[in-house]
Amino acid sequence: MMATATQNKAKPGVWAGLFGANMAVIAVLFITGVIEPPTPYILFALNMVLMVPLVRAGKQLQVEKGGVTRAVSRYNRRFLGFSLAYSVAMMVCALLADRMGWATPVMWVLAIVPMVPAFGMIWAMTQYLREETDEYLRHRAVSAAMVGLGFVLVLGTGWGFLETFGLVPHIWAWWVFPAWAMGLGIGMALPERDAGGEA
Amino acid sequence: MKNRLRVLRAEREWSQQDLADRLDVSRQSVNAIETGKYDPSLPLAFKIADIFELAIEEIFLRDVVEQAAK
Repeated sequence: MMATATQNKAKPGVWAGLFGANMAVIAVLFITGVIEPPTPYILFALNMVLMVPLVRAGKQLQVEKGGVTRAVSRYNRRFLGFSLAYSVAMMVCALLADRMGWATPVMWVLAIVPMVPAFGMIWAMTQYLREETDEYLRHRAVSAAMVGLGFVLVLGTGWGFLETFGLVPHIWAWWVFPAWAMGLGIGMALPERDAGGEA
Repeated sequence: MKNRLRVLRAEREWSQQDLADRLDVSRQSVNAIETGKYDPSLPLAFKIADIFELAIEEIFLRDVVEQAAK
């Protein structure tokens, strides 16, 4: 315990906060017209690089709490791989799309390419729930997913009403995934906050 | 739900990790069950009972208020 106490504690919350704050700033700049496509997509993609320290800090925290299973390791590896693939695909496709005309056949390809790793991240979560044999960790993941769902429903429904009454601009629907992921992170942090531990 | 896991574990001088290894679950799970943050499923409760060679009700205790109401 003494050795653990003297080590740097994992702080995935700091990275998650930085990730969320960056996303919010980019979204505000985009919505207010300060930056125009493809700049916001490239900034979103660059922000995804923060997933590397975020996932690493999350893994360190899982190790500290004794919550690492084979399924968790596989999930971390898959999620990080898809995040980086998404980041690269988003940047490349946004840059290429900016030089092409709307509604061309190539535009379909450019739209679908970043969709694949994004779906991969969702698949990684589904696989985790299937592969995790530790019922408590599975229970926590499902509970956190419900928090994420609530987060998306509140944000989406709230924004929808504000948009209907012309108070806020329209935003594209793909925001649901990062918003859900943020809610998932909040959900994962909530129940274990006061959990102790013993080596 | 309260339980006697910590005491039973201490009697055998097992760490949480020792018990986790025997149950094939994470140490975090043992900690959550032990501290009453999570009630195990019936199969896992039976597995715990088997490891300690006790009946489930000798490990997991019903709340006093709940018992008094019956």
